[in-house]
Formats: sequence, structure tokens, C-alpha cells
Amino acid sequence: MRIDGACQCGYIKFEGEGDPDKVWVCHCADCQAGTGSAFRINLPVTGASFRMLSGEPTIFIKTTAESGTPRAQAFCPKCGSPIYSTTVGDGPKPSYTVRVGLLRQRDQLTPKRQNWFRSAQPWVTGLASLPRNEKGA
Amino acid sequence: MKISGACQCGSITVEGEVDPENVRVCHCTDCQINSGSAFRFNVPVPGNTFKMTGEPTIYIKTTAESGRPRAQAFCPKCGTPIYTTSPGEGQQASYMIRAGILAQRDQLIPKRQIWFRSAQAWVTGLDAVPKVEKQA
Repeated sequence: MRIDGACQCGYIKFEGEGDPDKVWVCHCADCQAGTGSAFRINLPVTGASFRMLSGEPTIFIKTTAESGTPRAQAFCPKCGSPIYSTTVGDGPKPSYTVRVGLLRQRDQLTPKRQNWFRSAQPWVTGLASLPRNEKGA
Repeated sequence: MKISGACQCGSITVEGEVDPENVRVCHCTDCQINSGSAFRFNVPVPGNTFKMTGEPTIYIKTTAESGRPRAQAFCPKCGTPIYTTSPGEGQQASYMIRAGILAQRDQLIPKRQIWFRSAQAWVTGLDAVPKVEKQA
């Protein structure tokens, strides 16, 4: 499936191809801190199909991931929106793990798996019963 | 309740006092895009209790669904979102801290979700999505 997205300020734009069956939620502590939220939603995009259409992200190398694998995390230097993570090093990578929240097609990308559930926030499975407002409050 | 937190790289630390009754989830499209996730999870910290080390980058977002301009702070080195507040110089009345960066996040249970009209359809059904304790 073709995907495209942009950061909040519009400086960074990208596109690629991802398999909707590969969308996953990650509850690891790094993803909680990196989003400031409860989890990330990710989609792997093949390196051959991934194209940055505009802008240049800042790269942060995270070396203390729970999995032990160093990761290059890309974000917009102007608005801070997280863009993707990938393997460390120069040149094109085999895969980019794109942050689904900034994709135009996010409504069609339903997670199929949740990783690092041992550190999931206990309330994330109970949102159906949490009081809700349709707009702000 | 006292809270403290830091960005992923440690350049920015925050602390302050919160009322855990005010923790909320926000499903607005701005929060989806700027977190890269399905929603944000916020807690307000009164300005007179808020302390910070390090210097975040401020992005002024002017097209919020609510219509209000907001100053969004993030770490320039690792991109971690820190807070939003009202635009302007000096101490603000309140800082909406991103609860995911707080050491006490496991004790901060959301009491309300807002902008539910743009919530991701699957977000209330996570209990049924296959779970892996570590990663697969």
C-alpha cells in the first residue's frame, strides 16, 4: 500500500510502500518517552520505496534501547514531529520504521500486533470505558 | 503529586506538581501527527511549580483544531516532546506536560479523553490485538 506523510509544520514530506499487515504498536519505554505518549504505532517501509520529498530530519542515535539495538531516530528540527527510525549508518537502508500518526492514510492502518506489552500502560486496554468528549474540554 | 521527567537523551529535565485527576488523553489530529502515535497523554503542571533544565526548541502551532495558537516544546537533540503552553515570554500559567516522559507515568491514569471524534477506530480495542511481552 502506498503511504505518504508530512510533519506538523510541513517542512518534511515523504512517501513509500508499506504492508498494512505489518502495522504494530510498541509499548517499550523508549517509545513512551520518544512520543511523550503511551506507545508508538509503526509501519515498516521498504528502503527501495522510501523517498524523502522535502526537508532534512535531525537524527538522534539511541543506544540504550530495551532491545539493545542502536537505532537512528529521525525527527523534524522545526516542529519536533517524529518521522521514522532505522539502522545506524550512511546511505539508503533496507527498511524505515515510519511513525503512523503522521501518515495521511493512518485511519486505514490498524495495528496487528503489540510489542513490549510487559511495559504497556495498564489503562491502554480500557479506553472504551474512559469518559470522552467529542471535542475539547 | 510531584512529577519529574527527562527527554530521551537527557538534555532536558522537568519537574513540577500535578493533580493526577487532570490526566487526559487527546485524540486531536495535531496530537496524532506530532506524537506520530494515536493520541497524546497529557497532565497540566501549574507554572509556579514548573522547573526545567536545558533549552527546548519552541514551535508555535497556529492551526490547532481548537483555533488557539500553542507553543510546543521539544528537545532539539533527540526530538522528545516536552510540553505545550500558551505563546509568550516568561513564565506561563500552565504547562501541559507529555506524560510519557515522566518517571511517574505508571501512576498517571487518564481520567478523560478529548477530541474523541478523531480517535483512531482501533484504539478502544487494544485488548484484542495480539500481545508480545518483548518483541517479535
